[in-house]
Amino acid sequence: MPHPPRKPSPPRMRRILQFLVGLLVLVPLTVHAQETAAPAPSGHGSFTAAHAAKARTQTADHSKFKILQGPFKDGDGPAVTKACLTCHTKAAQQVMATSHWTWNVSKDGNDGYGKSTFLVNNYCLTIIGGNTEGCTRCHAGYGFKDKSFDFNQQENVDCLVCHDTTGDYEKERAGMPNPAVPLADVAQKVGSPTLKNCGACHFFGGGANATKHGDLDDTILKAPRTEDVHMSKQGAGMDCVDCHTSDSHKVGGPNYVIPADRREQPKFPGESVSRMSCAACHTDAPHKSYVLNRHYQKVACQTCHIPAFARGERPTNTFWDWATSGRLKDGRPYEEKDANGWPTYTSMRGKMVWERNVKPSYIWYNGNLKFTRLTDTLPASRPVVLNPAEGSYTDPNAKIWPFKFHEATQPYDPVLNKLVAPFTDGPPGSGAYWGDWKMDIAVKKGMDTAGLPYSGQFDYLRTTMLWPITHMVAPKEQALTCTECHARKGRLAAVPGFYLIGRDRGTGVDFIGFAVIILTILGVGIHGVIRYLHGRH
Amino acid sequence: MRRVVLYERFERFWHWAQALIIITMMLTGFEIRGILGLHLFGFQRAVTVHNALAVALVTLIVFAIFWHVTTGEWRQYIPTRKFLREMVAFYLTGIFKGASHPVKKHRMAKLNPLQRLAYLGFKVLIIPVQITTGALYYFYPNLQHAFGWSPSALWFIAVVHVLGAFGLVAFLIGHVYLTTTGHTPLTNIKAMITGWEDLPDDEYFDENP
Repeated sequence: MPHPPRKPSPPRMRRILQFLVGLLVLVPLTVHAQETAAPAPSGHGSFTAAHAAKARTQTADHSKFKILQGPFKDGDGPAVTKACLTCHTKAAQQVMATSHWTWNVSKDGNDGYGKSTFLVNNYCLTIIGGNTEGCTRCHAGYGFKDKSFDFNQQENVDCLVCHDTTGDYEKERAGMPNPAVPLADVAQKVGSPTLKNCGACHFFGGGANATKHGDLDDTILKAPRTEDVHMSKQGAGMDCVDCHTSDSHKVGGPNYVIPADRREQPKFPGESVSRMSCAACHTDAPHKSYVLNRHYQKVACQTCHIPAFARGERPTNTFWDWATSGRLKDGRPYEEKDANGWPTYTSMRGKMVWERNVKPSYIWYNGNLKFTRLTDTLPASRPVVLNPAEGSYTDPNAKIWPFKFHEATQPYDPVLNKLVAPFTDGPPGSGAYWGDWKMDIAVKKGMDTAGLPYSGQFDYLRTTMLWPITHMVAPKEQALTCTECHARKGRLAAVPGFYLIGRDRGTGVDFIGFAVIILTILGVGIHGVIRYLHGRH
Repeated sequence: MRRVVLYERFERFWHWAQALIIITMMLTGFEIRGILGLHLFGFQRAVTVHNALAVALVTLIVFAIFWHVTTGEWRQYIPTRKFLREMVAFYLTGIFKGASHPVKKHRMAKLNPLQRLAYLGFKVLIIPVQITTGALYYFYPNLQHAFGWSPSALWFIAVVHVLGAFGLVAFLIGHVYLTTTGHTPLTNIKAMITGWEDLPDDEYFDENP
């Protein structure tokens, strides 16, 4: 998706002027402007995007449309889509232009950043080694089994997965509807996507609930306000699309190309713009304290307002060890679980670590993650960071952001020094890893299917993947206090490139200071003692 | 002997207000820096108090400058070498032998040459350095944005500000100690509180109305 041009920064002279005016205005303000507000009662009193969204009403009752009465054959999703397209004539074309359909985006003029192409993640790795059919359960289309899929068939767009309001809709392998789904009923009750629609896929990234993101899982559907002030029904009760607004079915979201914190504002009322920056609703100066507001320049809102991720009841995966996978008991795969029932070992995936209430890692981030494709040669440094974040203190667009750092081992080609696409999802005898438990064969098969060069040798590689944390915003009373970061060993202890008060104090400076004080005390002490001994004055 | 008002009402107010502000700023400042694990106000309140007191101190100093200029009291701080050597000798040896103070205090010359140097240094060096570095510190984000200042500029500002603060602590210790070298250990402090001090008769000036 192309992203809109950034507003040019004001010319130097104007900035200097602004600074001088600011100086005049702000000095007196600082006297009383720095106390934070007392905790507000729970719930959200002010007008929010959610209220506007809830006020939207449909102008059509879809149950009145004859074409949606059906009957539709069991599991015949494309027939429903054809019916939708009789009125919404452009809808499928619009969807087909989005990454929900293509599973591929271009970045900086290079193609191949997507699941259907060469992108690799730290969990189930890739889909193009023959795993497409199982993974496309989450494709916004019907019948995506392998690379022969025709991306130009309009009736293969899946309208219902996003627009179902009944909760009865469910997709199966290759994205086809479960034959038990009452298609006509679902089709007559379509509406705007809610948390459930988006969550059906996005809560389950990485193969299971809560696995991938750390700040998205199905506990959000019933979350108390403390877990997520925005999406909790006790909180603002917002839906995903209240922030991830869409234009012609193009849903705003920081995928592989869009900078994370744009400050765009609508130019006229009602203009559809992404509200995916906090400032779009909260402004860039939401605190009463001037000092707190100024943190906005270098610190993302998320950094203070998401003290921990995976704050629901479900743990997120933080380590996935493919290198230890494939162990069998009596020739059969097995699972080991800890006291909480969370898998610590599965033959399919190897050793795993799951965590709740995880303190994020913090790094400079300007919204750009440099992803690694199967076709990219790996850097020399180990472990390999699959998607290092761009940014530094001196980058005007970068801020300190909270991240989930996900660690893994995964197979790679040590000769070509590239990642590989093993064939994992298949029955015994197919050569698939989860059928025959032979990684060398699975990688060979996968790379053949993907049509990529492979040296024939594989080894395991330690990889790290970065996941920006932005959901599960906590109530403001739970925001980080100053000394979480302004301390010697605080949360930002390892964030480089700048002087942080309370964290950085050259011990040399303090040493000199204390030396001066001690010498002074010694000086006056000795002087005083001599005076006392002489019994005078 | 005669009793004279050595320190006028505003002067006393200025002195003690400044003392209170500076001592509180020392405590809050050291807490913000994390020195000795000091925890008196809590970080956020310490920052708030420190910044508010900075504004209060500057305001007080503006009034003090006005007072010094309009009353001509600024002349008290003109440095002089007269009796400087004698003053040093007094503190190094004379004071132990019970020698009398080499400089007579006078309403129009109430500071000895060492005091003049020390207070002048305090007024034109330490305080301006602290106020300047403090302001640069506070407005660093704006300055960094406007002029593209490097991150190490903030480090430098902080180092100077902190060294100045340590200097102030040392000044305070020496200052308080030296107040005890008056006629009795409390003579000088009493004078600074009440304004009155007993001075020896003076043949050149008659200050009693």
